[in-house]
Amino acid sequence: MKYAFFQGCNIPIRIQQYATSTTAVLHHFGIELEVVPEFNCCGYPARNVDEKAYILPSVRNLALAEKKGLDILVICNCCFASLQKARNVMGKDPALLAELNGILAKEGLKYSGTAEVKHYLTVLHEQVGPETIKKQLVKMFTELNISVIHGCHILRPREITKFDDSFIPRITEELLLTTGAKSLDWRGKLECCGAALAGINNDLSQKLLKEKITGAQDAGADFITPICSYCHLQFDTMQVNMLNAAPEPRLLPVLLFPQLLGLCLGIDEEALGIARNNTIAANHIEHIKGLLGPPKEEKKKKKKAPAAA
Amino acid sequence: MNFNILLGLSLIICLVGLIIRLSIWFSQGTRPSAPHISSAERMSAALKGTFGVIFSGRIVEMVKSFFVDLLFQKRIFDKNILRWTAHTLIFFGFILLLLMHAMSPMVSESIFSNYQSTLNPFLFLRNLFGLMVLAGLAIAVYRRFSLKSQRLKSSASDWAALIFVGAIILSGLLLEGAKMSSYTVYQNMVEEYGSVSDEEEAMALEAYWVQENGLVSPNVLPPAAPELVQKGKELNGDSCIECHASNRTAFAGFAVSKITRPFAAVLGDSATVTMFWYLHILASLAFLAWLPFSKMFHILAAPVSLIIKRVSGDEIAEPANTLTRQMIGLSACTHCGTCSLECSSNMFYESFQNEFILPSEKVQYLKKIVAKKETDPAVLKRMQEGLYVCTSCDRCTAVCPSGINLKELFVNARYMLLQQGMPETTMLSHFSFPLALAQNFVDDHLQALKKVTALFKKNFQHLTDIALPMTLGKGSKGLSNTTYRSCYSCQRCSNICPVVRSFEDPVEALGMLPHQIMFSLGIGKVDLAMGSQMIWSCSTCYLCQEHCPNQVELCDIFYTLKNGALNKIEAGASS
Repeated sequence: MKYAFFQGCNIPIRIQQYATSTTAVLHHFGIELEVVPEFNCCGYPARNVDEKAYILPSVRNLALAEKKGLDILVICNCCFASLQKARNVMGKDPALLAELNGILAKEGLKYSGTAEVKHYLTVLHEQVGPETIKKQLVKMFTELNISVIHGCHILRPREITKFDDSFIPRITEELLLTTGAKSLDWRGKLECCGAALAGINNDLSQKLLKEKITGAQDAGADFITPICSYCHLQFDTMQVNMLNAAPEPRLLPVLLFPQLLGLCLGIDEEALGIARNNTIAANHIEHIKGLLGPPKEEKKKKKKAPAAA
Repeated sequence: MNFNILLGLSLIICLVGLIIRLSIWFSQGTRPSAPHISSAERMSAALKGTFGVIFSGRIVEMVKSFFVDLLFQKRIFDKNILRWTAHTLIFFGFILLLLMHAMSPMVSESIFSNYQSTLNPFLFLRNLFGLMVLAGLAIAVYRRFSLKSQRLKSSASDWAALIFVGAIILSGLLLEGAKMSSYTVYQNMVEEYGSVSDEEEAMALEAYWVQENGLVSPNVLPPAAPELVQKGKELNGDSCIECHASNRTAFAGFAVSKITRPFAAVLGDSATVTMFWYLHILASLAFLAWLPFSKMFHILAAPVSLIIKRVSGDEIAEPANTLTRQMIGLSACTHCGTCSLECSSNMFYESFQNEFILPSEKVQYLKKIVAKKETDPAVLKRMQEGLYVCTSCDRCTAVCPSGINLKELFVNARYMLLQQGMPETTMLSHFSFPLALAQNFVDDHLQALKKVTALFKKNFQHLTDIALPMTLGKGSKGLSNTTYRSCYSCQRCSNICPVVRSFEDPVEALGMLPHQIMFSLGIGKVDLAMGSQMIWSCSTCYLCQEHCPNQVELCDIFYTLKNGALNKIEAGASS
């Protein structure tokens, strides 16, 4: 199975480790990702300015994938939402579809809507499945408290993103559970990291971020696992900037989901790029590796096993 | 006119041009709010930096750069084999012609004791090199046409460069062809070098040259009698071949001589040779004089830029050198368009129809802006927008074949223009996000944002400004999304909003709360909604929309209001 790998603008330059770790983990399950250099920005940054300018780039990306005969696999939530939004709008606005196809025709592209957009978590959850993942584990975390922040644009608006239950998402939770890590219940889980306001209203943006950092820490998190690349940059770069300016709050280090899963699958930590996370120090890596134990059968199964035998 | 006078003149123009271009390296630059650094300081910093590299281990990198980046052109090779082929063909063909042919008294004659332009391998090589250049040019022209749909922009100067180089090579070939068929040239050669004893031998030699070397003779018409040709061949072997190889080995010139023959028939053979000689000389010398004033200056600037890139990377510690490096970069641009082909913002160019969104076009105008030659506010405004509508993906910098640090140039230019005073409404987009992360020019950014805020104050009415009783507005016809009509003011949206929650007095901070905005749309007060701080403080988390019991699409409506507000401001600014 092969997907056109949509990395967006931030990941290739600022979060390569998200791309390399995702590629390594998916490769482990026989899913290949084709990098498409022709892909352009998803359009998201222009949305405040012009809705049509926001839609067009994603339509072109979808048309490019169509031409290759591939579905698109996305990491970044905002890219994911933009691509899904474009599909939705193209489906219900034939006049706009014709107009945008007119622009694409100049370079021999055409959108007809055959390429689908998949978030990498959906692929891991549906195509691979938690059971298969568990069977492949060589290690498992014994006690690791993680605060997941889902990010807004993967969940909402639900009729556009069609990712998961937007009030009680389970895909990410179930996947995280396979690694043995504990996904904490905390109040910022489904909320905003403040990225969309950075550079427009920095005070407010950082206020929202700080609230998430302390919220996760109050819940007892050792690490935060952001799903969206914007969230990641908020926690992994903006947090460092903030701490450089004022030493409050305490640093909350970042681990990405494919990095966690990758460690449990026995993938080399270099390939997972854990040290590339700005908030991760050498002692963090030692600490995480120290928490890895042999993969355990789930308690339920242990009980069932003798009964079956 | 005398050749030496022409050569001297064009050399002087070229030299003056080089001095001007080099002085720009040390005198201009883009940097907002920074202490002035004098040209002298910049020159000494550059020298210090250069010597620092030469007398250190980094010299290895420099030598490596010479072979890998300059001779092999690895950055082009990695990106596009076809373009690399074109550049390599032109580069090596032209350089080798320059050394072996144009500068033969200095180069070829001092290296090869037996050098004769009419002997092989030189005769053949001259044609081969010329053909290499022409083949490279053909690919370059094809590329410029075929990539037009991919937003590759070609300017007059791009075509001028291609035409100039093409004219030099073609006129050279035509000159060679005209000489081959010229009877006058032939007669002069026979007089000077030939040893023919009688009329019969002269006819035989002529017949051979007509048959074999493309000569057009008034006495012998092809096909010449075989026995005469045979005799001529012997005579040719005795008196010609030592200094003049067969014209057929100069395959391109020999082929072209068929084109020059009609000219000779009309103008006379001698006049035709003179005409092509002038064409060739004038094309070559004009190119030499034009070189420093055009993109061909990259011949000098691109190698410097590439070496700096390999030796120092993208970060340069010495501030005096940062500006100099910027200017070297600007002058190294060949307008090849690779950056624009890969630009992640390419579709925004299609939407906004602002060519300054494409990096290659920004660079062209940056040259004018740093030289303070571009002062038209309308152009500067579009340039400012073009600089801002950038995803900061840095692809342009990664792919630039000349190794220009485009991202640094653009960041500096962006804040330099913003500082000059015009408010930039696209600052209120997520293009600002990577800028906030990078923390460049933090104060300049805040200052520029304030100018945009002031625009809002000027253009929109605020709730607190309105005298009661309030009248109904003109209606919300402009809004395609009409879900606000379903709002029954339960205030769930405002209660769940993480932004509203962030303020002790949210109404004071945000102007209106989400449910109030829906209400104001309901009573037709769209402008009031557009002017509220709430829409720009919205974190676009969609919690309100998701939780609304009546499916009011608040967040989507906010986006529409934001678009509308900016359109209104822009329309006001341009009217």
